[in-house]
Amino acid sequence: MNEVDKLKNMNEKPEIGYLVGGGLRENLKVRLVVPSHQVQEGSFIVIESGDWQFYGLVTDLQLGATDPRFADEQSEARLPINLAALLHGQTLYTNLEVLPALMLERGPEVGSPEYAQWRESIDLGLKPEPSPIPVKTIPPHHALARLAEPGDVAEIFGKVEKVGNFIIGYTREQDHPVCINLEKFVQRSAGIFGATGTGKSFLARILLAGLIKFNRASVLVFDMHNEYAYDDTASDTGLRVIGLQSKFPQSIRVVGLGKGAKIRDKMPDFNLEISMSDIQPEDVELLSRELNLKETTPTTLEALVTLYGREKWFSAFKQMRNGAMVVGDDGKKYPAPDSVAAWANNVGVNVMAAEALHSKMGRLFGRAYVVEQPAVDTVSEIVKALDGGQHVVLSFGEHQKDLDYLLVSNLLTRRIREVWERRTNEFRTSREKEPRPLVIVVEEAHKLLNQEIANQTTFSTIAREMRKYYVTLLIIDQRPSQIYDEVMSQLGTRVSGWLGDEDDIGAVLSGLAGRDALRGMLARLQPKEEVLLLGWGVPMPLPIRSRRYEDQFWQELLGKSGEKLIRKSEADLLKEIGY
Amino acid sequence: MTIISIGRLLRAGNAGFVVGCRVTQLDAPIFGAMVQADLEQDYRIYGLVYDIHIDDDGLVRQLVIAEDVDENVIADNRFNRNVPLEISILAIGYCQNGRLSHLLPPRPPLSLDSIYLCDQEELCKFTNAGHFGYFRHILRAENLPIEELLAAHLQQAQLAHVRYGDPTWIERASQELITLLRDNYPLLMNLLGSLRDVMITA
Repeated sequence: MNEVDKLKNMNEKPEIGYLVGGGLRENLKVRLVVPSHQVQEGSFIVIESGDWQFYGLVTDLQLGATDPRFADEQSEARLPINLAALLHGQTLYTNLEVLPALMLERGPEVGSPEYAQWRESIDLGLKPEPSPIPVKTIPPHHALARLAEPGDVAEIFGKVEKVGNFIIGYTREQDHPVCINLEKFVQRSAGIFGATGTGKSFLARILLAGLIKFNRASVLVFDMHNEYAYDDTASDTGLRVIGLQSKFPQSIRVVGLGKGAKIRDKMPDFNLEISMSDIQPEDVELLSRELNLKETTPTTLEALVTLYGREKWFSAFKQMRNGAMVVGDDGKKYPAPDSVAAWANNVGVNVMAAEALHSKMGRLFGRAYVVEQPAVDTVSEIVKALDGGQHVVLSFGEHQKDLDYLLVSNLLTRRIREVWERRTNEFRTSREKEPRPLVIVVEEAHKLLNQEIANQTTFSTIAREMRKYYVTLLIIDQRPSQIYDEVMSQLGTRVSGWLGDEDDIGAVLSGLAGRDALRGMLARLQPKEEVLLLGWGVPMPLPIRSRRYEDQFWQELLGKSGEKLIRKSEADLLKEIGY
Repeated sequence: MTIISIGRLLRAGNAGFVVGCRVTQLDAPIFGAMVQADLEQDYRIYGLVYDIHIDDDGLVRQLVIAEDVDENVIADNRFNRNVPLEISILAIGYCQNGRLSHLLPPRPPLSLDSIYLCDQEELCKFTNAGHFGYFRHILRAENLPIEELLAAHLQQAQLAHVRYGDPTWIERASQELITLLRDNYPLLMNLLGSLRDVMITA
């Protein structure tokens, strides 16, 4: 075959089947005319019907027979091979179930007078420029179905060349690049899900690298396991994993938790210390489960705040001595004046409750990074960096307990939220300086957003309403079912790897159309490198083979010329050499 | 082209007709053979032989119970019998003004019209015209051994098509039959069994 024939062949769009039934509610049924192994669950299908093109997703493949007896009997044993093949071709078949998602007006045939008229009416502004819209009708019987071509993928998911479109992966069968629109991605909170070992962290790195390169939003990463900033070693392969700071040394600031903290044997750019005055009663209540706090805690905390104020209560409570006694003139033992019991007696709080709280908060009092007066106001520095277009990775260093993560991430996020909220309000009043969008990346999100505490954390507020204030979340989690429903339902873009648990699958698909059809797809993704794109941020659900986090990725992302960002198709290469 | 007459028309209808012939003519027609009746210029009816029937008469009835029937008597009875052999034909199409059609003939042949065997060229021409529309006449004839008739016809037609350079005709014909009969499992499986035998013997 010469090159011209090859090119011609590539331009052909071979049909894989034709429409035989179905509907919007029960999905479309396509009779397959090619061997069933050429199509997989999750394949991106285009159904052509006159002036319209319909886009859908294969959600099931079903074997059928015109009469079950044809399927039951192994007629190939009785009949000559060619006759058996003829019989099977007519009586045994495979039906695809296609979830219709989008439709697009293509207009009359290009080159026809009708097309010229149609195009003119668009150019004159009499008709809007056609764009994919959610499917509202269905193609007729016998409409031809084919696998999506690169042009179809680009039509729906965006062209690779367009600024803001970021290749997140490739279609599974034919390797066509699939983009997500980063501009849209940061407009609402997003989530990356998948059971452990499915590559969530790698996918997060890829997305973060894309966001940082795109540079329309600042990124704050709560890096509980010190994975994102500096080079790391993959837990499964033992290979070196490039850290984001290595590739974006100018734009990423690494913050280590606690004075003198080292992250992967490197000195971070700042050290974060928490001022005692920053800790609020809500921060402690948030740790109820971690510290095993009782129902009396709010009362005790309220009494502390009433007496010492919101800034001093923590310090004052820490300084109290728990169980300290003095001997009175009468020889009896009394609570020492600086004891918890003495304070409790004075303010009318249950002594045992106060002492128990003090004892349990001992874990907080002992955190090395909680200090009376930090040497530097790191929180302000972080806000400044984010505001100045830089990105921050907060590595927790040695402080990897849930307690540290919950306390620090919530406290810091609250401070940041206040700043962004204030700036947004100022912007709305003066229209002067628009706040820079901020994406807060939260790992192990279920710890911060579970049903019990979601309402007490700043994160759930952000997930629910902070889109208005230019702050969104990127949550990374392996147990989405543990995340509060109200938060899950607000997630715009969802990228999910393999999930085994029914509840987790249900949670990822909550609030989405066609979730019953997508349910099986999630459970049957390859355990590695395959993810399902879902939600508001993507035009339609699509399983893809995610991009690999390796040298080639960085070359494509950071290559000197823009062309390197694009993986050229064979057709393009042929065109370049003159065919 | 050798034109072989198989007899003259005894009785007819649109859907089929019966030909009477002498025993001496019985070498020519076989079960499943395609025949033609040339009625007038530019009007020809086609049919398939589905039954060859030999009726008794009074003399045969007596002879079959007689002992030691003389060979000359048997020969005399066969060649000079009063009752003809009957060949039943299923009408499957016609040709008028040079146009082949797989519809039933508009008019049947008339009494004593001569009926001839189709040669292989004619067979190929008729079976290649249209899209196997004549199969429906065969499949509709429920009181006939449909699968055997089809197998016999396909075997003879296949030989003709192979000779005239179209060995894939049998596949197209089989495919069409499978399509037509896919909702009739017993008949289709019987037919495929017959076709298997055709292919084995081909």
